[in-house]
Amino acid sequence: MRRVALVGAGMTPFKEHFDLGIKDLVPMAVTEMEATVDKGLDRGDIQAAWFGELSTTDGFPTGILADSCGLLDIPVSRVENACATGQDALRNAFYAVSSGYFDVALVVGADKVRETSSRATFWEWMGMTRDMAWDFPLGLVAPANFALHVQRYLHESPATKEHLAMIAVKNHMHALTNPKAQLRHTITVEQAMNAPMVAEPFGLFDCTPQSDGGAAVLIVGEEVVDRYTDKPVWIRGVGLGLDRVMHQHKVDMTMFPATQKAAKASFKMAGLMPKDIDVAEVHDCFTGVELISYEDLGFAERFEGYKLVEAHDTTVGGKIPVNPSGGLKGKGHPPGATGIAQCVELFEQLRGESTNQVEGAKVALAHNIGGPTAVAAVTILGSSKD
Amino acid sequence: MSALAAIGTYLPPWGSEKARLGGLDEDALTMAVEAGLAARSASDVAVTKVVFISRSLPLVIGGNSAVLLAGLGLANDTEVIEQVGGAPAVLDALATAGPGTMVLAADLDEGAGAGAALIGPGPGATVTSRGRVHRSLPVRAQSLDGVLHEDDDPRLVRERGTRASFQGLALDAVPFVVAGLSPRETAAFSGPNPPVLPATGAFSAIFALAAAAESGAEQLIVAVEQATASAAALGAGTTPVVRVEPEPHSPEKRRTHPGPDIKIAFTAYDRAFDSKVAWEAGECPSCGTLALPPRHRCLECGEEGTSVLVALPRTAFVYTQTTIHIPVPGLSTPYSLAVIELDGVGVRSLATVTDSEPDTAGIGSTGRMVLRRVATRSGVPDYGYAFSPDGIVHRPAYVEATISGGTR
Repeated sequence: MRRVALVGAGMTPFKEHFDLGIKDLVPMAVTEMEATVDKGLDRGDIQAAWFGELSTTDGFPTGILADSCGLLDIPVSRVENACATGQDALRNAFYAVSSGYFDVALVVGADKVRETSSRATFWEWMGMTRDMAWDFPLGLVAPANFALHVQRYLHESPATKEHLAMIAVKNHMHALTNPKAQLRHTITVEQAMNAPMVAEPFGLFDCTPQSDGGAAVLIVGEEVVDRYTDKPVWIRGVGLGLDRVMHQHKVDMTMFPATQKAAKASFKMAGLMPKDIDVAEVHDCFTGVELISYEDLGFAERFEGYKLVEAHDTTVGGKIPVNPSGGLKGKGHPPGATGIAQCVELFEQLRGESTNQVEGAKVALAHNIGGPTAVAAVTILGSSKD
Repeated sequence: MSALAAIGTYLPPWGSEKARLGGLDEDALTMAVEAGLAARSASDVAVTKVVFISRSLPLVIGGNSAVLLAGLGLANDTEVIEQVGGAPAVLDALATAGPGTMVLAADLDEGAGAGAALIGPGPGATVTSRGRVHRSLPVRAQSLDGVLHEDDDPRLVRERGTRASFQGLALDAVPFVVAGLSPRETAAFSGPNPPVLPATGAFSAIFALAAAAESGAEQLIVAVEQATASAAALGAGTTPVVRVEPEPHSPEKRRTHPGPDIKIAFTAYDRAFDSKVAWEAGECPSCGTLALPPRHRCLECGEEGTSVLVALPRTAFVYTQTTIHIPVPGLSTPYSLAVIELDGVGVRSLATVTDSEPDTAGIGSTGRMVLRRVATRSGVPDYGYAFSPDGIVHRPAYVEATISGGTR
């Protein structure tokens, strides 16, 4: 397989874009990406596109990408894989370029969560990921989906709700300098601990906001990298992992086996270890999910994730900064766009261009987990090829 | 010879001593199943016919019988009669029922609760009709549109309803208790110190019988509904009474929210029904692994398409749980969800926590799985099993004994 690099990466702001549709956000994200290609991009070079979109809010997804971006003469495929959608779109495009069939491919992720009222969203989105007879009618809403895991995790590990609050505080602080972030304000541990309850143990500040937005990256084969940039970001590893779809079939809910499998595949492809990662964007739809993921990704020993939090190791400036962009918590979470936006941040980090730069970052990891905690993606990027 | 083989009673744990309220996930069917299982726990009489009497039928068209039979652990070819009626209808049904008949009565209004009486070939106390009178004084009437029309004139009802119908019965003795009346009216028409019945609806007749059976003596019982009355004599014999009557507590403090209905997919409803309402798992004949819900491919050995339904235990403990506080349209919040693990078989299930305030059950809490209306989906009741934590409702240990190896 030949090597593949990111040569452009951009995104729209994440926020409640009531005034913009998916047909606006997609071309805006592609134009943002285009502006980051150092030596310029002729759109005629793009040979194929992959579109990660979780929910179809305004019509036929692949056609919308082709139509709204002026890309009517190339094949476009849609990928939907719950909150792993964006990274899975990238993974599929990566295989196509890595195989040598295409040299230049576009990957776009976008979603409009706030196209319907937030109350309606509960049932619409649950319908996509729940057993319609057994789980759906019980009201296993997204926060509860993860809360069932984190409650058990807090029961078995020394971690407490205060550690969850510390993660919220960190990611809010990280989002401060990110011009694309949805929540750019700091909070305190006390605020997080005393916030209105959403689903035990998650208070309001433990939860991602509902967001709209788009993100795009351009990936190219190694032979053509020089045409676009002298500072490529290499895709070192991709991985996808699955798990049982119903909570009652997950034997140990203090972990996410999907993440462990995705990480194993991605690290194996990269020939790297967790200790090699300089900076990571980790799925923090709820604070406790980031905490458990430290362990599933190999950054901490089992039930010792809280130690990273207490030592501020995952804060920028720490040993393994996590979510310098603000994460889903601070930056926002339009699911189809989320994984691609993580790669936008890491593209900047590995080129030394982030607004919240991790000094000397050379190897970076992006992680998503989603659906009924049954799918995860892990992508490893590097500033060097090997 | 027919005799009362067992009586079961059920009162929901909500409301006050004066008037129980059905839980948000309870209806006449789920309460009737609670009472029916209580009665079955005290008798091994095989049930061949079910008569279900209520004025609060969950569905006017279709669906009640199947839920009732599955909930009671009875075969789905058992005869079922769904009858609209009050307390007199229940006494009549019992006096004419043959062995193997279970008479169930349940109501949501005027005090919620349910009763079950199981008729066997004996032993047990006999029930003999002592007459009935059908007269018309419809001071309370419900039209087809569901609107209740009520005329407030208690003295009219007492004189031209109760008293006139009583005279029509021409009884030769003062009854032990009268079902269908307020405690004060009951006292006026009964002998000394009649038992206090918790409601005036259909199931109050079974509570009257239960009190009579517990008195240990032969008793005359009357049931009244407006201007209709029925009398029955409870003969000699011993009938066990199993009461599931927890202390009442204040109504659940929950909020409901506007928004879209919960969708129902009838195909998924149909595929899940037997397992979900009878509480059965798919068992792999190859390796014995239990799967809830039943599935095409065995969780353990990969065997496909051969699993058979088997009854599941109904005692469980909480593996993990959470309470949802945010508004979710179609559900009342806050509500608690748990992943429970069934005792002895290691099978887990996602379940709503019922019979208790949210956040009552923690990790490790023990309890029982009980039939509840887990949701109302686009107007259709959706039944399944919820987790009832121990210490709130005391239930007899009936289920494994009566349902395992059933004919379903």
